[in-house]
Amino acid sequence: MEIYCRNVFCSRFSFAKLKYVFPPFQNGDVDPAVKALEARQDEILRKLYELKAAVEGLAKTVTTPDADLDVTVSSSLSSQSSNCAIFKGTTNLDALLGEDLGALRDIVINANPAQLPLTLLVLHGLLCQRYRVLSTVHVHSSVSSVPPQLLSCLGPKHADSYARHMFQLGFTLIWKDVPKLEMKFSVRNMCPIEGEANVARFLFKLLAPYPSDPALATLVDSWVDTVFYQLADGSTKERAAVLRALNSALGRGPWLSGPEFSLADIACYCCLLQNGSASSIPANVQGWMKSCENLGHFGPAKLLLK
Amino acid sequence: MTKEEVNGATEEEQQAQSKKALKKQQKEAEKAAKKAEKQAKLAAEQQSADEDDFAKDRYGLSAMVQSQQKLDRALVRVQDLTAEKVDQLIWLRARVHTSRAKGKQCFLVLRQQQFNVQALVAVGDRASKQMVKFVANITKESIVDMEAMVRKVEQKIESCSQQDVELHIERIFVISQAEPRLPLQLEDAVRPDGEGEEEGRATVNQDTRLDNRVIDLRTTTSQAIFRLQSGVCQLFRDTLTKKGFVEIQTPKIISAASEGGANVFTVSYFKSSAYLAQSPQLYKQMCICADFDKVFCVGPVFRAEDSNTHRHLTEFVGLDIEMAFNYHYHEVIDSITDTMVQIFKGLRDNFQTEIQTVNKQFPSEPFKFLEPTLRLEYTEAVAMLHEAGVEMGDEDDLSTPNEKLLGRLVKEKYDTDFYVLDKYPLAVRPFYTMPDPNNPKYSNSYDMFMRGEEILSGAQRVHDAQLLTERAQHHQIDLEKIKSYIDSFRFGAPPHGGGGIGLERVCMLYLGLHNVRQTSMFPRDPKRLTP
Repeated sequence: MEIYCRNVFCSRFSFAKLKYVFPPFQNGDVDPAVKALEARQDEILRKLYELKAAVEGLAKTVTTPDADLDVTVSSSLSSQSSNCAIFKGTTNLDALLGEDLGALRDIVINANPAQLPLTLLVLHGLLCQRYRVLSTVHVHSSVSSVPPQLLSCLGPKHADSYARHMFQLGFTLIWKDVPKLEMKFSVRNMCPIEGEANVARFLFKLLAPYPSDPALATLVDSWVDTVFYQLADGSTKERAAVLRALNSALGRGPWLSGPEFSLADIACYCCLLQNGSASSIPANVQGWMKSCENLGHFGPAKLLLK
Repeated sequence: MTKEEVNGATEEEQQAQSKKALKKQQKEAEKAAKKAEKQAKLAAEQQSADEDDFAKDRYGLSAMVQSQQKLDRALVRVQDLTAEKVDQLIWLRARVHTSRAKGKQCFLVLRQQQFNVQALVAVGDRASKQMVKFVANITKESIVDMEAMVRKVEQKIESCSQQDVELHIERIFVISQAEPRLPLQLEDAVRPDGEGEEEGRATVNQDTRLDNRVIDLRTTTSQAIFRLQSGVCQLFRDTLTKKGFVEIQTPKIISAASEGGANVFTVSYFKSSAYLAQSPQLYKQMCICADFDKVFCVGPVFRAEDSNTHRHLTEFVGLDIEMAFNYHYHEVIDSITDTMVQIFKGLRDNFQTEIQTVNKQFPSEPFKFLEPTLRLEYTEAVAMLHEAGVEMGDEDDLSTPNEKLLGRLVKEKYDTDFYVLDKYPLAVRPFYTMPDPNNPKYSNSYDMFMRGEEILSGAQRVHDAQLLTERAQHHQIDLEKIKSYIDSFRFGAPPHGGGGIGLERVCMLYLGLHNVRQTSMFPRDPKRLTP
C-alpha cells in the first residue's frame, strides 16, 4: 500500500511543475485577477501537501504496531490532541505528587553535561503532551559552560512561562557537576532519587501506571535495569549479550515487555542511540528501532546527539 | 680579772676583729677586681664596637623623605619575588611584619598588602653585630627600604605567601618608624576565632578593630575583602555599560523624604532644613521620564534606622538600576539577574586568591548560583514554608527568620544561594508599586536573596499620574509632599522598573561573612561616627 500511495502522488503530480511563472507586473501594477489565481494555487498546493503527509502517516501506521496516528505529522493537521494516546490508563497528579498547595509542583533534575539523560528528555516530551509543563534549563555555577544545544534541549520557552502558577508541573533541568544524576521534588517528604533509571521510573509513573500484571511489571523493570547497567555501563561482552537477549525478546513480540509499548522500550532505544554502533545491531532490534522512531517521541533525543 | 686576762681577751677580740676585717678586705678586693675586669671588658668591647662596625653605612634610620632627591631606583613588588628572581640583587619597600633575633642571626618577615616574604641577616662579612642588633630592634609595622639578594630555599616556607625564596639583606634603612606599642597585633587580627579560643591565643574583637581601622585594614584578610569589593563595583559598571546603561549621579541633599517614614537624616540648610537621600529612587525614575531609557547609579545612601543588627548601616553604598521596558516587567528582572550572575562569575573566575585569603580566617561554603537565575513566585514560597510547618497568611510579608528558612529550603532543593521571589502581595509594598493586572492582591514586585538574606527590593513602578495619586491616597500619604514626584509622570512616561542593592551587604553575603561592618571600610551605625 505504501509503495502504491507514494508512486501515485510522486508520478502524477510533479510539484515543481505546478508553479506557473507569471510576469508579475503589467503596466507597473499587479493585476488583481493574477493575485486571486495565485492565492487559489497556494491553497491547492497546501491541501495537496497535507494529503501527502496524511497518506505517509497512514502508511507508517500499517507497518508500526500499536500506533494510533503518526505523532510527527499530527501537528500539521488541524487539532492538537492534548492527551498522549500512546499510554492508556489514568493517572492522578495529586495522588502521585501530593496535595496541590496552590503553587507549582517543580521537579528538579541535576544532570552532568558529560552524561546526557536521553531517556528523561523523551519522558519530558511525553509529559508535555499530557500536562501543562513549565520547562526550564539552568547551568549551575559548578560548571563553567555547556554547548548551546544543551540549553535548548527542553524545547522553546513556553509563551506563558512568566506565570508559573498557570502550570500543573514544573520540570527544571540543572546542568551541574554531579557524580550521579539526581532528582529532587519535595525536600521535606522525599529523599533525592539517584540514577537515571530510577528517575525514569518516577517520571513514567506520572504518565501511565505500570502494567497491573506483576510479571509484566517486573519484566519492564528488569529490562530497564539491564539496559542502564549492562548496555550503557557494561563491557563489550555484556553489551553483546544484551543485544542478543534483545533480539530474541523482540522475536517473540513487537515490544520488549510484550504487547504494549513501555518504559523499557523508551530506555532501551535511548541507550542504544547513545551506546550502540549501527553495525552490530541484530535484525529484530533494527526493526523494533524503526517502529520506535515512527512513534515520533524520540525527536528531541536524536537532536541532542547531533 | 687580771690585766693580762683582760689583755688576753682584747687580744682575742682583736684577733677576731682582724679576721673579720681580713675577710672584709678580701671580699672588697674581689669585688674591686671583678669591677675592674668588667670595666676592662666593656672598654674592650666599646673599642671593638667602634672599631668593628664595618657595616655602618649599610643600615640606619633614613632621613624623612621630603623629596630631597629623585632616585631612579626600581623597587620590586613582594608578589613578584619568585624562583625567577633567584640570585638577583633587588631593592624593595615593605613593612616589617615580624622580627626574630636568634644569637648572631635575625629573621624578618616583610609584608606588602596580601603578600609576605622572609628575610634574614646574619653576622658575617656583610653584616656586623651592630647591624644585626639594629635590625632586630626595628619596631613592627615600620616601613623599610631594603637591598637584598634573592636566594632559593630548599624547604618551602609555609608561613609566607612567597614560599620558594628568601631575602639575604645587604642594606636596610628605616623610612618610617612605627611606635613600639601597637594598639592591636596584626597576627591576632587575622587569627580565626576558633583557633584563638582553642589555643588560648588572642583574637581582636570588632570594636577594637573599628577604632583602629587604619591598622586593621592592613591585614591580608581586609586587603582581600576590599579588593573583592572593588571588583564587584567594577563588574557592576562594566556589565551594565555593555548592556547600554548610562551612569548617572543623583543629588543626596533633598527637600522631601522620598520613601516616606521617619528614617531620614535632617541637615540644616541655610535658614531651613533638608534631608539626606534615603535612595535615588525619585531621580532614577525622573531620568527614565527624561528618556535616558536605562540608567544606573553608584552612590551613598543614608538611612536613619536605629537598628543595631549585623546587616544594617546608617550609611552605605547603593548600586541602583532603573530601566524602561517594552511589554513585561520580567524584562527588567532578567536584566538585573543577568547583571548579578555576571558579577558572580567575574568574582568566581578572577578573584579566587582573594576569596581563599578571606576563607582562611572566615571559612565558608563557596557561593553557588544558577544561570539563568531561579525565579520563584510568592505563592510557591508560602507553600514551601507551610510544608515546613510555618504558619503565615498568603498576604503576610516574610519575616527575617522566614526568609532565612526559605533560603535554606531553596538551597536544599535547587542548590543555589541566589534567587528571585516574584509577585509579592501588594499590601506590603510601597505606594508606587504597580499592582498585578489579573489579581489585585498581588503586585509586579520582586525581592532577590543571597544566602537567605534580602539584597534587593524592586518592582515595576506606577508610571501613570492618575493611578499613582490613587495609590498614594490609599496609603494615606500627603500628596503635597510628593507633588513634584507625581508631576514627572504627567508628560508621557514609559513603563519602567528597577531595583537597588547595597554593595557592603552583597560582599558580605558573597563571602559568607557575618557582619556588614567587615565589608564597610569606615562603617557608620547608630553607635559609631569615627574614624
